[in-house]
Amino acid sequence: MRFLSLGLLLASVSMLLFACGTAKDSGTSNNSGSSEGTDNKKTKLIVGTDATYAPMEFMDEKGEIVGIDIDIVKAVAEAAGFEVEFKNYGWEPLFPALDGGEVDFAVSSITITKERQESFDFSDPYFIANQLILVPEDSTVTKFEDLKDKRVSVQINTTGHTVTKKLLGKTSSKIVAPESMPLAISEMINGNADAAVGDNAVIIDYKANNPNVKVKTVEDDSFEKEYYGLMVKKGNTEILDMLNEGIKLIKENGKLKEITGFDVK
Amino acid sequence: MDFLDIRLDMIWDYRELFIRGMGVTLALTAAGYLGGFVLGLFVGMGKLSKKKWIYYPSKYYVDFFRGTPLLVQILLIHSALIPGIFGHSLGYFVSGTLALVLNSAAYNAEIIRAGIQSIEKGQMEAARSLGMTQNIAMKNIILPQAFRRMVPPLGNELIALLKDSSLVTIIAANDLLYAGKVVAGASFRFWEPYLTVAILYLCLTYVFGKIISYVENRFSNSYVPTQRKKMFSTRS
Repeated sequence: MRFLSLGLLLASVSMLLFACGTAKDSGTSNNSGSSEGTDNKKTKLIVGTDATYAPMEFMDEKGEIVGIDIDIVKAVAEAAGFEVEFKNYGWEPLFPALDGGEVDFAVSSITITKERQESFDFSDPYFIANQLILVPEDSTVTKFEDLKDKRVSVQINTTGHTVTKKLLGKTSSKIVAPESMPLAISEMINGNADAAVGDNAVIIDYKANNPNVKVKTVEDDSFEKEYYGLMVKKGNTEILDMLNEGIKLIKENGKLKEITGFDVK
Repeated sequence: MDFLDIRLDMIWDYRELFIRGMGVTLALTAAGYLGGFVLGLFVGMGKLSKKKWIYYPSKYYVDFFRGTPLLVQILLIHSALIPGIFGHSLGYFVSGTLALVLNSAAYNAEIIRAGIQSIEKGQMEAARSLGMTQNIAMKNIILPQAFRRMVPPLGNELIALLKDSSLVTIIAANDLLYAGKVVAGASFRFWEPYLTVAILYLCLTYVFGKIISYVENRFSNSYVPTQRKKMFSTRS
């Protein structure tokens, strides 16, 4: 009797899971259906992001995804005539989610790089970024080269991680690479690293929000300029065209400059 | 997706990272387990104590470390506790080991307590009536018997700890999972690195499992099917 009820329980649990799975599947297929614009309503695109990267994309007190990137995408959507819904995926899961068609495109301060272009397509650039070095106030570091035999903290798998790997070697144990930029900065503050390297917008925002922490930023002109782009699944020209159209429009009408404070050619 | 298009050369390029990752994972597990066993022994005995000032701290210790996620404990220790005490971080290895020791001690304490409590009251009474003190009876009569019963759950804890040590990746420890994450991020390929990591963890837990069943067999004088017993006796 006990076995019977256990069996029933297991069966019902697995049925439940199965039902959830199919419900979710049909949900996403509905989304992609509407994104093709078969009905009269405005097309709604699902946008994936990693909302841990203030001020570019982060969550406010109410759990809403906000930030400069988000404002730009909203402006692009308005200009090109589609609707957007933001979903927080986290940095790494974003890439398979895009590949599997769960999200239509991704915005997350994603620098356009050759490696990434092998696997994904990018829109025209909409933002220019630079790597910036954050060090304790009394540090003697004046340029990136000075970090050659120091411990450097970066957010894992970002372009900051890439340039640091180039300087220190790709399997160097002197690279401290935690999950998020706040953790990477706290590694430097706690003395576990001599410097933190990351995108200028984030580092400047950190400094502005933490005036009591004794740190300074170090600029280095040898860092290549990085261009952020919106990322779509390889070969998805339909969405890419819509995005490029929108970006072109907000560059022309000055909306982009209004949001970011500078022009992107 | 791309099941057939497996690029092993990528893993090979990063072999140094994977090997170091395995070393770090093993070191973290070993240090965490040994520390956790010794501390767990004290806490477990503490939970058996009649003295309230020993019993309650032990009880609350277990409640806290068994009742909160290890991931949160790691972040607390690494980003708050250690910088709070020393003024600066002591590196991922110290905080990672400390978190694993404290966490594993809570589980080991319960295993040890239950093991000791599973020995019949008559054993202690008999030992005491032969003139042994409480401590000597505990050391020579109760603990050896209890230990035999603790071996399987302690082995279980070892395997669990080995896998749980992967959580220290969040504080950028160069462990096995970290190696996989670095490769995945560098290549945007996820099958190869994470499958490699899974297989390497499996190899480690397999070896540990073998050691545990050897130890278990050594300490066991209870019923084991004859065929299995033979298998082990030829080996040892």
